[in-house]
Amino acid sequence: MQLLTQTVGVSHFLVVGAVLFIAGVVCMAVKRNALGVLMGIELVLNGANINFVAFGSKFLRSDSAYALGLDGQLISLFVIVLAAAEAAVALAITLNFYNNHSTVDVDRADELKG
Amino acid sequence: MGPVNWHTFFFYLYALVACGFGVAVVISTNIVRMAMYLIVSLGATAGLFFLAGADFVGAMQLMIYVGGTLVLLIFGVMLTAQGPLISLRTSGGDWIVAMLLAGCLGALLIPAGLTVKSWNTGRPDVKEEVAQSGAQAVLVSADQKPPVPTAGDMPDVNEDGIPDKQPITAAPLGLGLLGARVDKLENVPAALRPGMSGYLLPFEVISVHLLVVLVGAAYLARSKRRAGNRS
Amino acid sequence: MAPEASLPLLLGLAWLLPLASFTIIVLFGPKLGKAGIMASYVATGAIIGSFLLSMTAFGIWHIGKLGIRAETAAHAVEGHATDGHDNALAATPGNMHTADEGDHGDAAHGGSGHGDAAPGEHHGTPTSLPKSFTKDWYSLAQFGPLKLSISYYIDSLTILMFSMVTLIASLIHFYAFGYMHDELHPIEDHEVVLSDGHHLHRPGRFYRFFQYLSLFCFSMLGLVIAGNILMVFVFWELVGICSYFLIGFYIERKSASNAANKAFIVNRVGDFGMIIGLMALWGSLGTFAFGDIKNEHGKVERGIFSSVRPPERIIDPSIPQTVTLTGGAVYTGQITAETAESIVIKPVDGEAKTILLSDISSRTVPAGADGGVPATVHEPYALRVPDGMVKSAAMNLITGPDQIEPTPTQVETWRNEKYGYWLLVIAGLGIFCGCIGKSAQFPLHVWLPDAMEGPTPVSALVHSATMVAAGVYLAGRFFPVFTGEVLLIIAYVGAITLFMAATIAITAVDIKRVLAYSTVSQLGYMMLGIGLGGWAAGLFHLVTHAFFKSLLFMCSGSVIHATHTNDMRRMGGLRHKMPWTAYTMLVGVLAIYGAAIPFVVGFSGHYSKDSIIAQALSFWDLNPRHGAILAGLAIAGSGITAFYMFRMWFMTFAGKPRDHHVYEHVHESPPVMYIPLVVLSVFAFAAGFNYSWQPLSVPSLIEQARYPGAAATAPLLDRVIIPEEFVSHEWQFHSQAEIIVWFVALGGLALAVAFYGLQLLNADEAKKQFAPFYKVLWNKYYFDELYAAIFVKPVMFVAKLIANFDRWFIDGIIHRLAAGAKQIAVLDDAIDRYFVDGLVNLVAAWTWSIGNSLRRLQTGSLRQYVMLIVIGTVALTLLVRWSVAAGN
Repeated sequence: MQLLTQTVGVSHFLVVGAVLFIAGVVCMAVKRNALGVLMGIELVLNGANINFVAFGSKFLRSDSAYALGLDGQLISLFVIVLAAAEAAVALAITLNFYNNHSTVDVDRADELKG
Repeated sequence: MGPVNWHTFFFYLYALVACGFGVAVVISTNIVRMAMYLIVSLGATAGLFFLAGADFVGAMQLMIYVGGTLVLLIFGVMLTAQGPLISLRTSGGDWIVAMLLAGCLGALLIPAGLTVKSWNTGRPDVKEEVAQSGAQAVLVSADQKPPVPTAGDMPDVNEDGIPDKQPITAAPLGLGLLGARVDKLENVPAALRPGMSGYLLPFEVISVHLLVVLVGAAYLARSKRRAGNRS
Repeated sequence: MAPEASLPLLLGLAWLLPLASFTIIVLFGPKLGKAGIMASYVATGAIIGSFLLSMTAFGIWHIGKLGIRAETAAHAVEGHATDGHDNALAATPGNMHTADEGDHGDAAHGGSGHGDAAPGEHHGTPTSLPKSFTKDWYSLAQFGPLKLSISYYIDSLTILMFSMVTLIASLIHFYAFGYMHDELHPIEDHEVVLSDGHHLHRPGRFYRFFQYLSLFCFSMLGLVIAGNILMVFVFWELVGICSYFLIGFYIERKSASNAANKAFIVNRVGDFGMIIGLMALWGSLGTFAFGDIKNEHGKVERGIFSSVRPPERIIDPSIPQTVTLTGGAVYTGQITAETAESIVIKPVDGEAKTILLSDISSRTVPAGADGGVPATVHEPYALRVPDGMVKSAAMNLITGPDQIEPTPTQVETWRNEKYGYWLLVIAGLGIFCGCIGKSAQFPLHVWLPDAMEGPTPVSALVHSATMVAAGVYLAGRFFPVFTGEVLLIIAYVGAITLFMAATIAITAVDIKRVLAYSTVSQLGYMMLGIGLGGWAAGLFHLVTHAFFKSLLFMCSGSVIHATHTNDMRRMGGLRHKMPWTAYTMLVGVLAIYGAAIPFVVGFSGHYSKDSIIAQALSFWDLNPRHGAILAGLAIAGSGITAFYMFRMWFMTFAGKPRDHHVYEHVHESPPVMYIPLVVLSVFAFAAGFNYSWQPLSVPSLIEQARYPGAAATAPLLDRVIIPEEFVSHEWQFHSQAEIIVWFVALGGLALAVAFYGLQLLNADEAKKQFAPFYKVLWNKYYFDELYAAIFVKPVMFVAKLIANFDRWFIDGIIHRLAAGAKQIAVLDDAIDRYFVDGLVNLVAAWTWSIGNSLRRLQTGSLRQYVMLIVIGTVALTLLVRWSVAAGN
């Protein structure tokens, strides 16, 4: 319960961001479904976004002069936009792949196997 | 034990939801369920954004990310989830390797996050106000004197009395995108001034990027005469 | 031009003309005319040119001699039997009778008014012709006192030899033009069978024959004109090699090439002895020249002849002499010093006194113990061991460091003790060894019968008249140098040769073999004559033999050309079909037989053989034991000669033809072949005549070249006395010789007529009855087998040994080295293939396997790529963090 009385600092957000990041990486590495991989990507980006926002928040640190301020939020906006764009393109690729191979199993996409 | 810092409580709530459902995404085998879990996880992330004071970003997260990108993802899932493709299992060996990797990354990142001592706690004077009013944005007029801070130095209060507590970030964000950084007009230390420019260029680049993506995605996903043939 | 200059010029040109012809033919042979026929014209032209030049020299000589004759006829000449002999010698030096003391001035330098004084000098009237001319033409080299030069020695013997050689050579060139006509076309040689069973076909070699003939003429004439013994040796060898070329003319025939080798090698064996003689002469005398030659300083250098037979009377300086001056003073004492102007006389009872030579009226030597001339007085031209030889032999007697040169008295003493005599004997024997080889005497006679493998013109020119005669010529030239021992050995060798060869000729059936053995036998006669002291007799026989033997050979060649066989058993009755050949050959046979009406007229061979027999008889008179053997052999030999010569003639030309096939195809030879036969037969008949009213006869020419001095004695042997030649002209010996030879030869003729002429006795029965003798004679006394066993087989054995050593050991080493190199090469290859290539291949394999394994990274699996990205990121982060931490 002592946990709940203390204020939350940047570190807490960083930890959350790291957990999401790790989950996303594992999801990318483990999932055979291409859409599962995409979900992993989304998780990764979100973890990164949390970090940015945490760094840009004045409320989370004691010396707020060193917060990124709006920069953190701006960057995370850009990240969101890019994530959307990339998700769209990736989805298009996946659908194309599905149309051609009738499967979204990424293990089947091994024509570049050496 | 003192009064519950509701900021902290909600933080932990959203954090657990986000991390839990994120882990659930990893563990789940059903693609549809994965999509659901992801939505919830990202929603919780938006809550975290709000808690961090990035209200606009949080809103955008909900609108664009959850409402747009993930819906798109759901479309994709729906389109492709046929029969055996719904749950594709990976082998145990891959799981072990992935867990190892996760362990390594975790060992790397989580301690890294905790290294800076000054980050372990947040702003001391904010906690009561935040605890009382939750994560609501407080609209403060320009000529209203800010509450006098009780403890420590409050470097984010300018001479005009304009409080630094401007939970509404949309307008400054927009102006920042256009090149005017109104949030850093006077208080910028001389050492930090370089780099405090606007984000007009990235804004434009992003726009073009989106356009390109639009066109590309439309092309890539166009319907083909002969479905099933390699293009 | 004085004869002194013209004779060398003429004879030198005559000598060099065949060399020019040789050079032209050697350079342009095949291109001269069609198939080289012009080569014969060139060669014949050259030799006829030489003949004409020789004749011109002959004429000049006789004009000179005629001038002398007119002059000396006015002077009193000691009388000798003028039985056709011309004795142009004014003095009577060196006879065995004691010379009275008034004679010592005759042969000494002061002899004026006499036409022929000492050789090499001429003084007195301008028309006098000296005995000989000798001078250096060209000096090749000088090593200290030894001078090597091209020089000439011209006397009447030289001119006679030149004329004879060029005449016979010219006739033979004509003859050869006809005989060798076949060589103008390609020839199929029936005596050569190739490995595939066919006869040899080859192009003709007409021009080459004349090339060799020209070279031979040049060599022979060079030998005759040579003025020093080294030049003789050089041309000796040249003649030998020309003989080699000519005998081996049909070079593809094994028999011919073997015969050529045999001739040359056997000659070389004799030349080995000749070189020893040359070394003995040079080592002790220091000169090679025959006669005295005035060198560039005007000093006369003594040659070999005058070193061995000094022309002056030499008196042992230790005996006292009596000197009478023009003023009447008389001094008796030892002559201690003598110069060109004065002498120093030391009387026994006074001091030495110098007397000018111009003041001396006479010098006498007191009588010896027996009342005669003391032995320490050397008569002029007597054989005397030269100072050089005495000093060489007595080297160990020179004592003391202060004495380098022995005094004349010491030298005289040593000479009296016979020091150096053996050296003179060795020198003479060495030179004679060369003659043994060249003139085919026993034991080196084996090459001459085999030399008949050459074409018949070769046999006629080289092996009957000229080359083989060169040995006799040299023996005659060197006669003054031979001591009595050497002469006796010469006589024995000659006698053995003549008898042995004559007996072998009885059984020969090849017409050329008969003539070859006959040549060997007659050469033995010549050597016998010289050895017995009959120098002029031997040389006379040389000249007559040249004519009739070349005639005989050419006739036999004509027969061979017509019948295409040498075998007399297939001939017979040929005189009906070949009259010219038959009757010219008969002339030759009569010449060698010595047919004559005794004391009246005879063929040339009669005179020469008789002079030898007469000399043998006079020798027998003085030396009972040696003479019995030698003269007996000579007389027996003449009988055997008669037998086998007429046997040959009867078998060939008389009786019934034994082979009808041969008889059918026989025809007379063309005129170009039988005209020389006719010419030669004239000479074979008339060459021996001599007339007292003109000096143009052979014997007189020979006599003019006689070196003054008696024939040598043989002090080392048991009182052998070699008689003077003029003794043999005395009626006693001359008549005995004529009668004995006439009868003995007639006996031989009778036997030949009985066996072969009239077929009264059967030759085959006689053969069976005397089977062992016949076998020995048929196998030529087994000389060839003996030499093969003694010389040829050991050499071949050693050669095979060495060849095997070379093949097994040395070649073995080489092969093993090669095998070793091969092994090294194999090893190298292995290293290269397995190690180096292996290395390279290994690297390639590694690269491939690394690549192959790295390929497995490309799994194509997205998820693994992701994991790898993460791993990379982690690693990078750690790296950066640690490096930053380390930097801090």
